[in-house]
Amino acid sequence: MPIEAVADALVEVRDLTTMLSGKAVFDGLSLDIPRGKVTAIMGPSGTGKTTLLKHITGQMRPDRGTLRVDGQNVPTLGREALYALRERIGYLFQNSALLTDYDVFENVAFPLRQHARLPEVLLRNIVLTKLQAVGLRGAARLMPSELSGGMARRVALARAIVFDPMLILYDEPFVGLDPIALNQVLKLIRTLNRTLGITSILVAHEFAAVRQVADLVHLIANGRLVASGTPQQLARGESDWTRQFFGGEADGPVPFQYPAGDYAAALGFTGAAA
Amino acid sequence: MSADMKSRPPRGGMLVDGLAQVGDCGLFLLNMLGAIPRSLRYLREISRQIWFVGAMSLVIIMISGLFVGMVLALQLYYTLSIFGGTAALGTVVALSLYRELGPVITALLFAGRAGTAMTAEIGLMRATDQLAAMEMMAVDPIAFVATPRFLAGVIAMPLLANVFSMLGLLGAHLVGVTWLGVDNGTFWSNMTSNVDVWKDIANGTWKALAFGVVVSLIAVFQGYTAPPTSEGVAYATTRTVVFASIVVLALDFVMTAFLM
Repeated sequence: MPIEAVADALVEVRDLTTMLSGKAVFDGLSLDIPRGKVTAIMGPSGTGKTTLLKHITGQMRPDRGTLRVDGQNVPTLGREALYALRERIGYLFQNSALLTDYDVFENVAFPLRQHARLPEVLLRNIVLTKLQAVGLRGAARLMPSELSGGMARRVALARAIVFDPMLILYDEPFVGLDPIALNQVLKLIRTLNRTLGITSILVAHEFAAVRQVADLVHLIANGRLVASGTPQQLARGESDWTRQFFGGEADGPVPFQYPAGDYAAALGFTGAAA
Repeated sequence: MSADMKSRPPRGGMLVDGLAQVGDCGLFLLNMLGAIPRSLRYLREISRQIWFVGAMSLVIIMISGLFVGMVLALQLYYTLSIFGGTAALGTVVALSLYRELGPVITALLFAGRAGTAMTAEIGLMRATDQLAAMEMMAVDPIAFVATPRFLAGVIAMPLLANVFSMLGLLGAHLVGVTWLGVDNGTFWSNMTSNVDVWKDIANGTWKALAFGVVVSLIAVFQGYTAPPTSEGVAYATTRTVVFASIVVLALDFVMTAFLM
């Protein structure tokens, strides 16, 4: 499918090819992430959605291709430039990844303490503002082990936005949340995008949740972009891929059977195969 | 090698994989040494780690030192009394402790007490994505997590070894002088005239420093490269104790041969 030229793309992926232990995770992947929008990356398990996020942040480098974030080609950046770029990107980990040695307040303050020399009063106010935004100012002195999964994810979100990033990457933000926590996270993603204009990339499987926040959905399979459009367009299921993925068919372009030899032969019915 | 180095998949036989791991460990050491200037920004983290691996190990080191000194005095008193040389008890105990037992036993205890803690902590930080989160917050985990723990171990080991030896002397004095009746003046004066600060105490301190380097390196490396599973962290912790103990004992022989 042709890539429609997006007037202002914050992330531009072109011809990205990555091999992992002999298998092509990306095979000439090209896509654009528009600035100021919420873009969801979807696809069958194991298609490298999280790997794509790791490429965007430079944690992994591709074998070929370019990946520009705000004009900088990430795979060619040195350590200093990469770290400078990362300071402008928030990353929400699937398991929150809070630092277990520090309480909630210090977790959110961590990036500020590392990269900015702020007076303690100012730092405190910034951290409390972010915690208030995720509704957890009252939990500032709790340790990560005392938080529920949903609370931990909101703390991680507060930490991800403490530097007012230009881009937030959400890796599976809805996994393991009860309906209330899910709605809270959805509301936060929407609010952060609409009020602060933060470009957001969302890797998720839950189409029902994605529909509510995403402006654009990219469907990746077999290392390539197989469909993209608004959630409403994709939900109509006009191609085999979208029909299987959003229609929930067990068999289709993604086969139900893992590739295997002849079934009859495996069961020892050699005569039957003839 | 990049900072986000992880465990390698096995490629060849045991020998090839073993040698590859030694190579990785060496590169990891270079990485940590290269990160020292950046680590110095995290002085609070370094001192926190010295507290954890040093001060928190004091009790086990002191108790062990006391008992080792007491046993040593009993055994040596018996042996020396055969030759009528119990006057040399203080000297022999001090030399054995400062030159040999202090550094070696402290290193073995240190591997069990602090090394395992370092490995398990870093391994779990990897497994729960905390190291990746630091990378994403533009904080180098080598400089913030690995190097401070390594430096803390290197600083703490010689101090702990000397505390061990001192407590050992106290234990020996308790048994030799208080219990077995060796003359107090003879015990100390023979010791002070035969034990040399540079030849004996410094010699042992150098050893302790070297052991601190290898034990801390092994512990941090094993944690950093542990597979991010509960099994992986468990194996890594075991490997820390096994490898550290073997390397300490082997290195002890080599250093003794050269420092004699």
